[in-house]
Amino acid sequence: MNPYLLIVLLTSLGLGTALTLSSTHWLLAWLGLEVGTLAILPLMAQRHHPRATEAATKYFIVQATAAATLLFAAFNNAWLQGHSDIQHMSHPLFTSMITLALLLKLGLAPMHTWMPQVIQGVSLNTGLIVSTWQKIAPFILLLQIKQIHPPLLTIIGLASILIGGWGGLNQTQLRKILAYSSIAHLGWILLILQHSTALATYALLIYIFMTSATFITLKKCKATTINMLTTTWTKAPTITLVAPLMLLSLGGLPPLSGFAPKWFILQELTQLNFIPHASIAAMAALLSLSYYLRLSYSITLSLSPNNLPECLQWRVNYPISTPLSSALPAALALTLFLLPLTPSALTLII
Amino acid sequence: MTPIQMTFSTNFLLGLMGLTFHRTHLLSALLRLESMMLSLFLATSLWALQLSTINIATVPMLVLAFSACSASSGLRLLVATARTHGSDHMQNLNLLQC
Repeated sequence: MNPYLLIVLLTSLGLGTALTLSSTHWLLAWLGLEVGTLAILPLMAQRHHPRATEAATKYFIVQATAAATLLFAAFNNAWLQGHSDIQHMSHPLFTSMITLALLLKLGLAPMHTWMPQVIQGVSLNTGLIVSTWQKIAPFILLLQIKQIHPPLLTIIGLASILIGGWGGLNQTQLRKILAYSSIAHLGWILLILQHSTALATYALLIYIFMTSATFITLKKCKATTINMLTTTWTKAPTITLVAPLMLLSLGGLPPLSGFAPKWFILQELTQLNFIPHASIAAMAALLSLSYYLRLSYSITLSLSPNNLPECLQWRVNYPISTPLSSALPAALALTLFLLPLTPSALTLII
Repeated sequence: MTPIQMTFSTNFLLGLMGLTFHRTHLLSALLRLESMMLSLFLATSLWALQLSTINIATVPMLVLAFSACSASSGLRLLVATARTHGSDHMQNLNLLQC
C-alpha cells in the first residue's frame, strides 16, 4: 500500500481510539468509534481478494449497526435525563441497549458470529489490529457505564468463554482459532468488568500482548492453517522452541504471564461469592487449552524422523523481517515472563 | 415518553428490524443503515427545539457528516462486492463460513 495512505490510515486509527478514550460526551465517543471503523476498512479490503472484500463488508455492517444503536440509546437517555455524560447514565433500558451495542462491537457471544469470519478473511497484520487495537475503545466505554443489570455482563461473559472454547475445537484455519480465542479472553475480561476495573484493564493488557505475539509469530512462519505450522522448525527453529510456551500462556498456565489475569479473576470472583461462575469459567478454559495444545503439538512435538541436516525446506526462504517482526522479541518477553512482576503491574494500574 | 421521542424511536427500530432481517440484497441493508442515521438526525434536530437547549444545535450536522462518510464507505464496499462476487446478493457472501 502507498506509504502516505498507510500513515494516514494508521494515524486515523490511533486518533479514533484516542477520541473515544478522552470523551465524556456520548457524541464524541461515537465519533471516535466511527473514525476507527472507517480507517480500518481500507486496510482490510486492500488485497482485492473476494474473501477480504467479504470480510470488510461484514465488519462494516456490524460496526455501523452497533454504532448507530449506541448513538440512538445515548440520545434517548440524554433526552430523558437532561445530560449526556457517559458516567452518569441512569435509564435501565437504554443502558442495557448501549451495553449490548458495545458487546456487538467487541464480538462477544451471542453476537460473535462475525468475528471468526472477519479475522479469517483479512491478512494477519490487519487481523492483529482488529483483534487488539479495536477492542480498546469499546472496553473503555464499557468500564465507565454503571451497569443496571449486573447478570447481563456475567451471563454474556460466561457464554463467551464457553463459545470461544467450543467454537475453536473444530477449526484448522489459524485465524479462526485466534478469533475464537479472542472471544474467550474477552469473555474472561467481561466477567470481572463490573467488580474490578483494575483487573479488567490488566487482563486486557496481557491479552493484547499474548495475541500480538501469536499473530506476529504466525506472520513470521507465514502459516495460516495448522498444516502449515508443521514446517516451522525449518524456517525458524527458535520460534519452534518458544511457540508452545506462548500458546500455553494464552491457555493460562503458570508460570507464564497468561496465568496472572485468570488467577486474579478467579480469586476476585470467589471473594465475592460467585462460586458457580468461577467454576464454569475455570472448566471452560480447558476447552481453549485443548486447541492451544493442538497447535503446539503441530509446531514442536511432531518432528519428522529424519536427520536434521537432511530436512531442509525445498523452497528457499530468505529471512523476511517485516516492520512488525521487530516487535516479536518484546511481545514474546511480555507474554512469557510477566508473572513475577504482577504485584508491581497491579499497583501501576490500580 | 413524548410523542416525538416515540416517533423517532419507532423510525429507528423499524430500520434496525429491516437491517436484522435482510434477505436478498446488500443494498437494502445499507439503505436501512441510512434510515437509522436519518432518524438520529431528526432526533438531534428536534432536540434543540423541544428541550430548549441551544448548545447542541450543531450536533445534527456532525451526525449527518459522519453518516454520509459511513454511507459512502458502505457504497464503495458494495461496488467492491459486486466486482468480486458478481452481485450484491447476501447468499453469495458465504466464502468465509466455518
